Amino acid sequence: MKFERSKAWWLNKVRGEQDAFVGAGLLARDLAPDEAGHDAAAAPEAAAGEEMRLAFGRFVSLIRRQRGLTVEQLAARADLDLAELVSIEEDLCFQPEPRTIYQLASTFDVPQQALMQLAGLAVVRDTALPQEAVRFAARSETTQKLSREEKAALDAFLAVLSQQGPKHRS
Amino acid sequence: MLTLMTAGASSPQLRDWQIHWQPALIEVLRELNRPNVPVTQWPQSAHWDWRRKMAQVAGLLAYRGFSVTCAGVTQGLMQIDLNRLAYIPVQKGKPLVYVEYLEVAPWNRPDLGQAVRYRGVGTALLVAAVALSQEEGFRGRIGLHSLPQADGFYRDRCGMTDLGPDPGYQNLRYFEMTPDQAAAFLGGENGQ
Repeated sequence: MKFERSKAWWLNKVRGEQDAFVGAGLLARDLAPDEAGHDAAAAPEAAAGEEMRLAFGRFVSLIRRQRGLTVEQLAARADLDLAELVSIEEDLCFQPEPRTIYQLASTFDVPQQALMQLAGLAVVRDTALPQEAVRFAARSETTQKLSREEKAALDAFLAVLSQQGPKHRS
Repeated sequence: MLTLMTAGASSPQLRDWQIHWQPALIEVLRELNRPNVPVTQWPQSAHWDWRRKMAQVAGLLAYRGFSVTCAGVTQGLMQIDLNRLAYIPVQKGKPLVYVEYLEVAPWNRPDLGQAVRYRGVGTALLVAAVALSQEEGFRGRIGLHSLPQADGFYRDRCGMTDLGPDPGYQNLRYFEMTPDQAAAFLGGENGQ
């Protein structure tokens, strides 16, 4: 992250704070990692995360093809790095940046939060989503042309994603 | 110096929190633990455990930790969530950077009746949140639930919109910053 200001600018900001107390956050006690339900080290959740990312890659691939876009065209339209898009579609271990999800949600007009969960960047709040993601991944192939079955799978999964929250609005 | 924070036992920020912050906080609480000092004046974040906070979101890129370091010691900590949407009507449903937790070191808190060692640590962390929001394409939108002692800072000094107490968040007041407010907050010099 780049953010540059002069020393005078920072001093002015610090003076603006004066004697104010600055703090934010919920006052409830902190949950232990196992209580919180999203300990990244937990093996079953890691496996579930892999399945979700598989579904995420398939989803991006299918919806791109449904819109008649090549990877290059989608990269240009969504203002994304070409290599990152290729990794999303082909690399099961790849984790995209939050900005990428934001851009994809905006381009495809799908809920950003659901896409974040699917990409493994956020905690899954809806327990049905992983099941639907696995079902979707199983029904889809990364072949060149979208088959009738793939189109049906994509439509069904889009309906599930739409239930996750409001669609992205820029 | 503003740095990205890491989780785990090797994290220098979490080591500072344990080695430096905790003893300082215990000293403060010992001072405050007198009959004439109401509990409401005690530091509201005294029980926070940053090791747990970071462990809960380790490996999730939608959550990030930032710290301010000075003289080789961590002076402030912040955890943000990139998975939230705005509430106020002019930007409802748009993505923002949500400041999940923000805390400055006990020796930098003016509310504890002691000489503050470093001023502006909280402001620096908030600047980082707004700058990250701009970098993520969220145009500077941020949101946070303020600790009660800090309400005035966000409202009057940062120019954020006060949406009032949030019943879902222990009635903490919820504040949001719009792109225009962010531009004003980061304004001056090359910042428009």
